[in-house]
Amino acid sequence: MSSLAEMAAIFLASKDRDAVLGDLAEAGASGWSALGSVLGLVVRQQMELWRAWQPWVASSVAFAGSLLSLGVSFGLSVDSRHLLRGERGYGRVLCEALLMLSWAWTSGFVAGSLSAKTRCVSGVLCAIPCLFCVLRFQDTSLSRLCVLLFLLPGVVGAVQGGRRKRLYFATAVMLATFITALMLLRGDMYARDWFLLLPAWWLVATAKRSELSKEKVAA
Amino acid sequence: MLGEFEYVLMTVAAGLGESAYGAAIREEIEKVARRSCSIGALYTTIERLEKKGLLKTWMGEATAQRGGRAKRMVRVTPKGVHAAKEFYEAMMRVSRNASWATGKPERAS
Repeated sequence: MSSLAEMAAIFLASKDRDAVLGDLAEAGASGWSALGSVLGLVVRQQMELWRAWQPWVASSVAFAGSLLSLGVSFGLSVDSRHLLRGERGYGRVLCEALLMLSWAWTSGFVAGSLSAKTRCVSGVLCAIPCLFCVLRFQDTSLSRLCVLLFLLPGVVGAVQGGRRKRLYFATAVMLATFITALMLLRGDMYARDWFLLLPAWWLVATAKRSELSKEKVAA
Repeated sequence: MLGEFEYVLMTVAAGLGESAYGAAIREEIEKVARRSCSIGALYTTIERLEKKGLLKTWMGEATAQRGGRAKRMVRVTPKGVHAAKEFYEAMMRVSRNASWATGKPERAS
């Protein structure tokens, strides 16, 4: 058994890893042949995952959410600077901060819950706009990392989404209502904001569907 | 309805009975069906059939021949038996008038 095949097998689930490496050892496969077999399985498993709609939606949410949240993070950083100079009120900045946290967390949760197994692709798609923006950042009065403020709540949301899959219906409704109310309270509405609100209401819809299917099973 | 390779895999697994696991199924497919069977095709199909509830898998014993690694044992479920039987009967019905099934010479078109 080649060590290259064993290294490539880390991309497999633990139960597959043992079975596949054992089968290859039993068949006497070695070197490139064993490596090719393992990589072939990795590629096929990934392709199988992408036959469903969930990874496509998850990666779209990750990419679009990241693209739009960069602007939100930058806006929050600019507002915070105005606050420190006394040109902005606390209320406005607090509202912006809560919105950024909620939008990023819900987008991350939706991406993570829809397709935990393709999280690497979602992560890369989220990182591309970030990298582009950080490299091209030109405002010298702010750190270029200020555009990445949304990343931490987004990643926390994605991890929690991967574990929990969905929220309780009441929690989801409260969260979505809270975010919508904050948006209305803040005033200025951009098309971007409405897009970032979608994941929160998606969570409401999935929580409701899960509750209905539980009731059906109980009945 | 099952796919052709899914049917082959389930039939071979059913034939191997208690000793059906990845390497044995692969070897049997290559021997009986006279076609190559990659590890990738085998395990993704097992995974898919298990998700459909047509197969059940579990980790079995580890042997020295396998470098101390466990086997992934496979068993066809009652639902799988039903699906395979349906596929087999459909193929028999479809093949009813074909020259290779009846042994009669092929009609010229």
